[in-house]
Parts: sequence; structure tokens; C-alpha cells
Amino acid sequence: MTTNMSAVLDVRAVRLHEVAADRESAIHRCADVLEEIGAVHPSYREAMLDREWAMSTYVGEGVAIPHGLDMSRDLVRRDSLAVLRFPGGVEWEGGRVTVCVAIAARGDGHVALLSALGRILLDPARAEALRAAGDPAAIVAMLEMDET
Amino acid sequence: MIRTVLLAGRAGLHLRAAARIAGAAATLPAPVTVRTMQRPPVPADSVLALVSLGALCGTELILEADGDGAAESLANLADLFATDGDVPRV
Repeated sequence: MTTNMSAVLDVRAVRLHEVAADRESAIHRCADVLEEIGAVHPSYREAMLDREWAMSTYVGEGVAIPHGLDMSRDLVRRDSLAVLRFPGGVEWEGGRVTVCVAIAARGDGHVALLSALGRILLDPARAEALRAAGDPAAIVAMLEMDET
Repeated sequence: MIRTVLLAGRAGLHLRAAARIAGAAATLPAPVTVRTMQRPPVPADSVLALVSLGALCGTELILEADGDGAAESLANLADLFATDGDVPRV
């Protein structure tokens, strides 16, 4: 499967210096950014929180991938990612999170994005690059490389 | 030993579905790998590895295991892949 992640990651949706007191606050920040770029209806926030409480979206490597529920796909206006870095870390169920990759996608787009992210995170060098990238453009470029 | 199964979950192999399967795989007697026609084998007990397959509903999954308990392990996982975990079993 080929997924052009750069097409769904706007440089405006990459935030490198986020702060959140806890997991819930971090989800709210993710929803804020998805809303700001016009990717989702405001109600998508509730779906993200519901999904998080149903099962932690922590996936390892210091990364969580907050997203909505299958039934909330109608609240997605445009398939999009947001990358939020929390340098101070956020306590999460499953581990300590320093990067949130928030996903808003309709239909099969969700699984395609998860697949592409999974392949990045399974590669320790690329996972580290995602955590350490110095500017938003570097993160967008990193995802552009994933055209396998 | 190989077994093929069609993925049943309507929403595809998303994170929760992968977690359900990886959790079960970790308890099986034999390690199982899963591949698709597009993607090389990955361990069935890794959530990230399973979602990296990008499998949609109806995707043919090729499960492989060897040694003691291989048949039982394959049968167990094939059942899970062939069941939509988002629909409660009655």
C-alpha cells in the first residue's frame, strides 16, 4: 500500500513545543490543532477522548496516536495528521509520551496512515528522528520519505 | 506450517483490533508471523507490526508457525482474524 503522508500533514499542524499536564490535556491540544487547520468538526474532540478512554493509544517509542472512533468518521472534513511534541513528556497509560501523532481520517485512510506510521516507529532510527527533529519542515520531510 | 485467512474486521486492522490479536498471540505456544501479498512477515504479538501491514477488510493474511503447538496457535489466531472484534459476539 502506498500512502502519501505528506499530503495529509500540513506544516501548520506540526507543533514542537507543547506542554500538557496530563493525557487528557494532551488530547485536547491535539484536537485544538486538528480544528485550527480545519481538518475536523469540533465534536471530533469528544470522539478522541472517548477513544482514548476505551483503550490507550500509546504505541511505544514514546509515541501516542490519538484518534476518533469509527463512528466519528463523518466529523472528519479532510484526512489529516497533526504532530505535537511534548518535550517535557506526558504520563500516559503504557508509557511516557513525548510525541503525539493525531489522526483524523475517513474510511480506509485511517488504516493506511496507521500502517505508514507503524513502519516509521518500528525503525528505531526513524522513531528517534521523529522525536528529535528540530523544525516542522524536517518532520514533514521525514514522512514524505515513507513512500514504500 | 501455513494457514491463510481473510480479515473480517470492517474497519480493517486498526489499533484496537491489532491489540486484541497481539495480546492473544503472546499467550500462544508457538510464535506466529503474519504477512500479506504486499508486506513481508511480521510477528503477530507486536501491535505496531500488525498495524504496519495496513490490512483492510477482506485482505488475505498468510499466517505461519512451526514447532510444538504450531497448529493450535495458527487455528487460534485465524479465528480471531476471521472475527470482527468491533461486533460483540452473541
